[in-house]
Amino acid sequence: MIKKTENQDYIKLIYTLFIIIISSFFIWLIWPFISDVILKLVFAFLFTSLLLSSVDSLERKIKNRGMSVLVVTFFVIFVIGIFLTSFISQLSNQASEFSQRVNPQTLTQEFNNLGNKFTESLPDFASNFIPSNNDFAITLSKFIDSALNSLASLAGAVGGFLINAIMILIFTIILLSEYHSFRKTLVAGISNKFFESGLKLIFNIEQSVSSYLRGQFIAAFSVGLMSILGLVILNLIGANISLIIFIGIIAGVANLIPLVGPFVGMIPAILIAFMNNIGNEIATSHLLFGIIPSPFFIFDIILMFMIVQQIEGTMITPAIMGKSVGLHPLMIMISLLIGGTILGPLGMLFAVPATAILKIIFQEIMFVRKNSHLL
Amino acid sequence: MKNGLWPNLFKGWDNKESETINTLKLIPVFKNFTKKEFLELEKLVHHRNFSENEFIFKNNAPGEGMYIIMKGSIKISIGDGKNEKILANLQEGDFFGELALFDDEPRSANAISLSESKLIGFFTPDLLALKDRNPVITNKILFNLGQILGERLRQTNSLLLDQQKK
Repeated sequence: MIKKTENQDYIKLIYTLFIIIISSFFIWLIWPFISDVILKLVFAFLFTSLLLSSVDSLERKIKNRGMSVLVVTFFVIFVIGIFLTSFISQLSNQASEFSQRVNPQTLTQEFNNLGNKFTESLPDFASNFIPSNNDFAITLSKFIDSALNSLASLAGAVGGFLINAIMILIFTIILLSEYHSFRKTLVAGISNKFFESGLKLIFNIEQSVSSYLRGQFIAAFSVGLMSILGLVILNLIGANISLIIFIGIIAGVANLIPLVGPFVGMIPAILIAFMNNIGNEIATSHLLFGIIPSPFFIFDIILMFMIVQQIEGTMITPAIMGKSVGLHPLMIMISLLIGGTILGPLGMLFAVPATAILKIIFQEIMFVRKNSHLL
Repeated sequence: MKNGLWPNLFKGWDNKESETINTLKLIPVFKNFTKKEFLELEKLVHHRNFSENEFIFKNNAPGEGMYIIMKGSIKISIGDGKNEKILANLQEGDFFGELALFDDEPRSANAISLSESKLIGFFTPDLLALKDRNPVITNKILFNLGQILGERLRQTNSLLLDQQKK
């Protein structure tokens, strides 16, 4: 009798292994065709997690799920639309003003002057490390050229982005309106033995993702606000930086990517400070704290963003996020590296919530294993 | 085709309430619910089928919510084998495990299906999700649960007094 049961167990194990191998092979075959859709669904799920509580709260007031979904989604689209249109129009104004003000022939001359000033203001030993003026001018010109080229290819990608955005929007609307029924359908497939723990696991994942996203959203908002304040202060000492609200928003959005994001946020500020101040004597010879040469207020801007980052990292995020994600900093860094290697910046954006989800699943599996005799 | 089309097309027009709602109406936890609130609740609850002698939950297992018997019968007991002590035999329309909606304590008894059973499950994550969307229903559930527990406490007190008098 015992032998028969053991044999049955082996057959069951072989059967399970066989099914796992076949399904893995099948997924590997169709993965190139479905990966794009899955990525869109992941985005839609993240947006759903972010907006779900707003939709639920509105449903409580107007007693209509469909209407709540539409109102919340269109409000978000409206806000993003206003931001994008006004940002693009202001950026194009800025660009045309820059091209009118700066003559390509004089640009190299400007760079030469800038290079001279910079090397003069440095101590003797440091100036040895700086390449000759011409090299400096050529490098800067090349950098500007490549930046402009990247902008052109960026415009080409906008079309593809719009189609993806519409797809994600549709997925999000469907998920938001049917979220609770989807969840019910999903858990219906769990066996009786693991039903309650499965339900708890899904609930914990939802809570963790939504609190992480909301925390990130508040952190991004405060970084944006502090960056705007910092830029206003820099303008008061003569930095002449325009589009500060947009720079603030970009800094806030970039902050969503841990560790790398904050540095991305300062790039537009430096570029605009450079564009606005080219040819401006006072700005090119500006000294930070009256000692450190900081042409175009570049080091002032970097210092300001570093201060914002420190306030966000040491005061705001710990206060709002608490232990919601509870990942060790080393774990965050490793997950960012893995995410970045697999999916680039997108992977970095998803790395931390994905690791947090894996951690919850692991904890729940350990809990189930520990209590398996009770299930 | 003709037979399948019309009933599907006019499905729900006769306004007949589902079996789930009819069962939920028997439960004091959902007392004073309006028709609309029962429809909302129906969307949340889970239907689970258990075979004969299958455990619904075991004593000391982590508990997530309550079960309502739609079909079949359930045995609530402590211990196993010769040491088994049957606390109750529950029938259609009875409910159990409702304490798990309130606290994180483990289950205090075994629940075993005595026949092929169909149960409705209502769990803490569902209650917490409902809290954000429809606090009126959540308040009604919690108020009714409070009343049930209060009633049980009174019964326990009177039993204790009787025991002390003896």
